Amino acid sequence: MESHNIPRYKPVEKTEEARQQEQRKIEEYKSLEHEVSQKVSEHVYTPDTLKKISDLLGRNPEYYTVWNYRRQVMRHQFSASDVDSKGTEDKTAQPVVQLIQQDLMFLIPLLRSFPKCYWIWNYRLWLLAEAQRLLPLPDARKLWQEELGLVSKMLSLDSRNFHGWGYRRRVVETLRQLGSPEEAASMTKQEFEYARKKIDADLSNFSAWHYRTKLIQRLLDEKSATDDERRKMLDDELELIHQALFDPDDQSIWFYHQNLMCVFDPSVAHRTMAPHLSTPERLQYLQQEIELIEEMLDGAEKCKYIYQSLIECTLLVSKITGNLSAEDHERIVSWLSELKQCDPLRQQRWLDFERALQSNA
Amino acid sequence: MALVSGPGRAGGATSDQELHTQKHITYITKLDTVRASFQSYFEAFIDYELEYWLTEHLRLNGVYWGLTALHLLGAPEALPRQSTIDFVLSCQKENGGFGAAPGHDAHMLYTVSAVQILVTVDALDELEAKGKGAQNGKGGIQKVGSFIASLQNEEGCFMGDEWGETDTRFLYGALNALSLLRLMDLVDVPKAVSYVQSCENLDGAYGVTPGAESHAGQVFTCIGALSIAGRLDLINKDRLGAWLSERQVDKGGFNGRPEKLPDSCYAWWVGSSLAMIDRLHWIDGQKLAGFVLQCQDPNAGGFADRPGNMVDVYHTHFGLAGLSLLKFEGLEEIDPV
Repeated sequence: MESHNIPRYKPVEKTEEARQQEQRKIEEYKSLEHEVSQKVSEHVYTPDTLKKISDLLGRNPEYYTVWNYRRQVMRHQFSASDVDSKGTEDKTAQPVVQLIQQDLMFLIPLLRSFPKCYWIWNYRLWLLAEAQRLLPLPDARKLWQEELGLVSKMLSLDSRNFHGWGYRRRVVETLRQLGSPEEAASMTKQEFEYARKKIDADLSNFSAWHYRTKLIQRLLDEKSATDDERRKMLDDELELIHQALFDPDDQSIWFYHQNLMCVFDPSVAHRTMAPHLSTPERLQYLQQEIELIEEMLDGAEKCKYIYQSLIECTLLVSKITGNLSAEDHERIVSWLSELKQCDPLRQQRWLDFERALQSNA
Repeated sequence: MALVSGPGRAGGATSDQELHTQKHITYITKLDTVRASFQSYFEAFIDYELEYWLTEHLRLNGVYWGLTALHLLGAPEALPRQSTIDFVLSCQKENGGFGAAPGHDAHMLYTVSAVQILVTVDALDELEAKGKGAQNGKGGIQKVGSFIASLQNEEGCFMGDEWGETDTRFLYGALNALSLLRLMDLVDVPKAVSYVQSCENLDGAYGVTPGAESHAGQVFTCIGALSIAGRLDLINKDRLGAWLSERQVDKGGFNGRPEKLPDSCYAWWVGSSLAMIDRLHWIDGQKLAGFVLQCQDPNAGGFADRPGNMVDVYHTHFGLAGLSLLKFEGLEEIDPV
């Protein structure tokens, strides 16, 4: 019902044969659905019911109620297996770890065919949470560890997939909780490298830039970095972004640049990688940025992002000093007039800004 | 509410840019998913296509999207009221929540749709008297409210159902439905508000969980929630407005994140978010309307995600809602929250 990127086609009159074939498919589907809900309502939580549920989900992975049926059946099998390990007669029960592994495998082709289906990802997370609840720590940890490989594969197929990045954050977060502080720290480094790899592959990938922002914070916090170390990190980031900005029309890169500029904003600096810069330091950094970005204008006079950034940096200077100099005011006015020319879509935004600027002058 | 007599036109727009109102009404009322609400839904659907059965999990959302779209098109009577109400109530479970269709499990998403539909057709009194948990014609509303409230977690966010997935979509939905039911006092609103704040990024926009990348859909749910909670003061409106206005690409449409393709549904997610923070004029409304209108199927009705693609009821609803927000001629006005 919700379709994305499917070209419109003209409806064609169905042949009698095609119509009959569709009817057969519907009947199959309906009877399978009926059978599954019947079994579940009668608490027939057998491997056969699970097989039928798999069949149904293969035909329709969006059917969230059936995922809930699957959870019920799995819970039942987990408890049967648990009983077995305590020495009862039921020798047919499989160990929990095997049940979970099999179920994780079952999901792979579905995730590949329907990477944007919320319910499959949710079910997978539930299964892994069950592993954590029921298995010895090393076993659970191993299963979570394997998820990293899976999600890397998913993100190599679609590097902006929202579910993929969200899932990666969850996996990493859990592994961090399950491991020692040393393991957690090496995890952060590994992820930092992963984000860098994704950025190098595609500078437009804002998902990766965003991830990098978060990882830098964690990296520094985990090693209780000194202010000097933080400043060093900031310098490296500025160098990286300046290199990336050789393409000044890429919005993702400018948003990362904007993120970095927050370091110099006294009201949000506490949320950034270098919260304790002195006022002269902040001003000096900003001055460097303004000069460097102004140079970028050479050959890119129509690039709106350059003017936006120049205005933002200059306003930050005035925020720090508590006063907007006449000279800076004039510069902002001239950048703004360029901006109004090269960004007609957001004309009213710039007019609003112009009015605010006049009333503050 | 005035009825629409003919197709509306964007000011100065060219001839291929008209709104095919009647075609859209026909498209929606012919949709199998919507038909189910006013035909007796348990009769044999011999003529229905496989697609109908595969989308049963969206039935109640589909009815809501179709109903709202018809209201916007000025044709609210196109779906018979009583059978719509009966269908909605038949989706309710014993715990007070609603499933997507009769027999499906209760979930936040469908519970919110159910409440929205019942409010749209002014039938909360029927829920009160005939809903689950009602005794002597009373208590149905409270039962739904309790179901929703039971899904708030310790962090202040909301789960979709008993299995525990959390998402700001559910948080917004919960506050939306509870405010419609006038039962906001059942939940911890300040806690929900601080959870929303924890999803804010340095770009002024919001992600689906703390630490997640900003996304236009999540911006809508987060500031929609803040708006319902009366806490729009917590938003950095200029910074968020800037991020949102940068969603408009040269073709006129909005994308959901930096450097992604435009999609007609973001006309609503981004547009309504801008409206909630009084910055809707920061984008080019005429170019946006032009893009959305290009997503219409001029022959069979309905809207697609992008020009030339397959139409569906989701994009038809959000495309029309986006146009309505822009006060497009011939459409009823919509509340951005």
